[in-house]
Amino acid sequence: MKKFLMGNEAFAHAALEAGVNVVAGYPGTPSSEVVETVAKLRASGVAEGVHVEWSTNEKAALEMLAGASYCGARVLFTCKQVGLNVASDALMSLNYVGVRGGCVLFVADDPGPISSQTEQDTRRFGSFSKVPVLDPATPDEAFAMMKAAFDLSERYGAPVIVRPTTRICHASTFFEVEEHTVARPLPGDGFQKDPKWVIFPKRAYEGHGEINRRLSRMAWDFANDPAFARFNHIYNGGETAPRRGVSPSDSLAAGSASDVRHPSGALSHVGIVTGGVSTAYTREALALMERAAAAAGLALPPYRLLAVGTPYPFPAETAAAFAEGLTDVIVFEELDSVLEEEMLKLAGARGLNLRVHGKLTGATDDRGENTTEGIAGRLARFFDRTNSANLAKLEEQRAEDFADHPGSLAALVASTIGQNDLHYEGPLPVRPPVLCAGCPHRGSFYAVKQALKGREAVLCGDIGCYTLGNAQPLDAVDTCLCMGAGITMAQGFAVAEPRKKQVAFVGDSTFFASALTGIANAVYNGHDVTFVILDNATTAMTGSQPHPGTGATLMGERRRPIVIEEVLHGLGIQHIGFANPHSLEGSLAAARAAIDFEGPSALIFRAPCIQLKKPDAPVVIDAEKCTGCKKCITSVGCPGIGFDAGRRGPASRERGQAFIDASLCNGCGLCTQLCPFGAIEGTVGFGGPGQAEVATYRPDPDPFQTGEIPLVNDEGNALQETEVKGEPDETPGQALGKAEGVCHD
Amino acid sequence: MINVLLAGVGGQGTVLAAKVLAQAAAARGWQVRTAETIGMAQRGGNVTSHVRMGDGGEEVFSSLITPSTADMVIALEPGEAARALPYLAPGGVLVTATTAIQPVTAALASQPYRAAEVVANLANSLQAQALAEAAKASEAEAVRATGEAAPADAQAPGVEGYPVPLFVPVDDAALEHELGPGSRKSLNMMLLAVAVAQNRVPLTLSEVKAAVEVCVKPQFVAMNLEAIDHAAQAYG
Repeated sequence: MKKFLMGNEAFAHAALEAGVNVVAGYPGTPSSEVVETVAKLRASGVAEGVHVEWSTNEKAALEMLAGASYCGARVLFTCKQVGLNVASDALMSLNYVGVRGGCVLFVADDPGPISSQTEQDTRRFGSFSKVPVLDPATPDEAFAMMKAAFDLSERYGAPVIVRPTTRICHASTFFEVEEHTVARPLPGDGFQKDPKWVIFPKRAYEGHGEINRRLSRMAWDFANDPAFARFNHIYNGGETAPRRGVSPSDSLAAGSASDVRHPSGALSHVGIVTGGVSTAYTREALALMERAAAAAGLALPPYRLLAVGTPYPFPAETAAAFAEGLTDVIVFEELDSVLEEEMLKLAGARGLNLRVHGKLTGATDDRGENTTEGIAGRLARFFDRTNSANLAKLEEQRAEDFADHPGSLAALVASTIGQNDLHYEGPLPVRPPVLCAGCPHRGSFYAVKQALKGREAVLCGDIGCYTLGNAQPLDAVDTCLCMGAGITMAQGFAVAEPRKKQVAFVGDSTFFASALTGIANAVYNGHDVTFVILDNATTAMTGSQPHPGTGATLMGERRRPIVIEEVLHGLGIQHIGFANPHSLEGSLAAARAAIDFEGPSALIFRAPCIQLKKPDAPVVIDAEKCTGCKKCITSVGCPGIGFDAGRRGPASRERGQAFIDASLCNGCGLCTQLCPFGAIEGTVGFGGPGQAEVATYRPDPDPFQTGEIPLVNDEGNALQETEVKGEPDETPGQALGKAEGVCHD
Repeated sequence: MINVLLAGVGGQGTVLAAKVLAQAAAARGWQVRTAETIGMAQRGGNVTSHVRMGDGGEEVFSSLITPSTADMVIALEPGEAARALPYLAPGGVLVTATTAIQPVTAALASQPYRAAEVVANLANSLQAQALAEAAKASEAEAVRATGEAAPADAQAPGVEGYPVPLFVPVDDAALEHELGPGSRKSLNMMLLAVAVAQNRVPLTLSEVKAAVEVCVKPQFVAMNLEAIDHAAQAYG
């Protein structure tokens, strides 16, 4: 069945078609849709026999999967690149112990970075942990790699990483997928007791030898076994490429696995090595350059291109065959100089007379994403530089740059590729990401800042939507390091600068993922900090995934939610306050009480994510009363409020007035409580303001909650369940469309 | 190869429009790739969807459009049209909504940006390009008249037969008013319809409508089809 799928959705299909038994991960852009798609396909009956879950964090997910794999289950782990840092303790030794059922780690890298805190390269993590890495150039190739990865894992009893990047994960195309999948039956013998499952120093020494041996064998497989060698391609192109009855640009597309052992175009002396999505950009750039060159009566030099889909262990034999007779190669890859270093190693080990150009030589970009037009420019300079006739002319003309040298490829590319002569004059609106209109975090940040007025304080933030609280005018996040770090960093600030007040903000999902040990540390070591838990009943930034505090699971069962205040109480926090962040007065009082408490304290701001709520009627600005003072704008910076200098009213005169963008305002009513002139009308907090007196936690007489399963938030849970159940053909892409308001649900 | 760039502000629905185009392309048997902005930028940031269709049977390598090669740029917001301008092919169509979405930064800086100015600047920019191309063409004509070969760059490499870009500002507020409450949600479909109705790419409105029936939930098909017909009629 042909379906239009986002890469991540298709990779879920691929794993299910490979018979995967257990899928687990922790949400993180750009990886989240894989687990969501498995859950949807399972819920709709398309995927049979698979267990899928959002684990509390990446380490929990990988360890859970390791156990299942020891029993012979095929398992899939998903996370974003920084998620592997969390799971790395498990991964390092799992590779020594080995696995039984195929164990595939889907780890999505994020060059740019587009929505991450680092530009780390999981191919490096592969070589560090000695785990093989497959690196797709297109979503289609990733689909094939997902299946091949399970086979590779079982062939060697080792975990295998598939590492796509954002542009692979979030690109869509049509895929041929099965209408129904069934998880592979587990082996009848089950888990077999064996000393090998227990890691000891002696066992680790033996295991290290096994790892080294299997890496050599894998490198051979990647060069020779068609099951994996098909992910490495050699293409020939340029002036004297073998014609095969087609034009040079067509011969680019004609490459296949059979070319790997038969690099032709013996006249080439220049080569290009590419990996990941840079392969697609490079082939695109070459096609554009060949067209532009032909139109200008120029030609590209004969070149050879090696596209590497199996960067670790490096298929040295394929690369050696590719490099034969070449004097120069340029390497296009994102993030680190992994392939470049492999080519340098190859040249050194085999004594090749080969110059390698790339990130280390400044010939390619040292960070960020590559682009087709950027690669075209780099390639043109490379071709010019390696053309002795061109070099001589350049010197003759005393041109600094090839692009200044008429007749050079660099000049051609500069004038034809990626340029359209259209110039826009005038400033453009800057659009940094902001908290949504009606986001409960806005009120939480504002209340805490107000409560701290007149005190020196450090506000530690964390990873999630609430990192956006750092923007003006809220300016409520002074630090952000990694998941859960705000909780513990605040304690370091408390030790070093005890005269200041330390506040750590943490979201509900992050609370369960990585805040618990930090809070225990504060209680144990007596750090006087205030933990502010922003409980919006979902994992918002990554697209509303459930977590232990919601009780909703991907298997469709409703569990008893783990109650944040019970956890805090259990960890020994003596003051636990509550507030509805939409209600300013109550929030302020609760914030003051928590901040003034001596010793570690906590404050839970509880209101569901605005994406999970039905919006209320937009607020209205009374043009008779608005003075144009802008307090509403400069206090909380809500996207629903704008300022129009042209508006006039009796109170504002020539100053202009604020206005409400009714298409954005969700009617939370926070601004109605901020206006000193009562000029904004609307209901507050989706059904009335919370109580003004301070509510604090009293130990529950039934801490194990043996009664009915409580609903943390009906509305939120209901929405999350719909998401999970989905419709048979509803994909995260569609759900995303819905979130963008295009499906009008 | 047909390249279509959809630009807007997070939440405006570029993703569904991209999906409809992909569906229409697939119905023709073309290879198609799309790419989206997902994640942090969705929260009020500028977003783009790229749609690439191999209409000549050629292989589509990258999911992203190379600047200056978009046959259609469809912007759901005028500032985003200006930001996407470098993507427009020399003979491409630029369709934009004219209602601005003010970012928080503009309110804080007391400098609301004015949609009318942006639209006027865009018109000037495209007008200048059209004049430049016309000058080039007449120069080439003069050269031809003297019997010499025309220089290669006189043949603008844009959409075949259309050496100059076409700019279509759409009064989206008026369209919404005519269509009635709730029709703002079909803005993506309206602008897509206007772009296709310019006939610069080999896709038809009926193909777009057929794709809408496949991609959109049944209860929303009728309102989107109505929006498409109305917009195409107004700007066809």
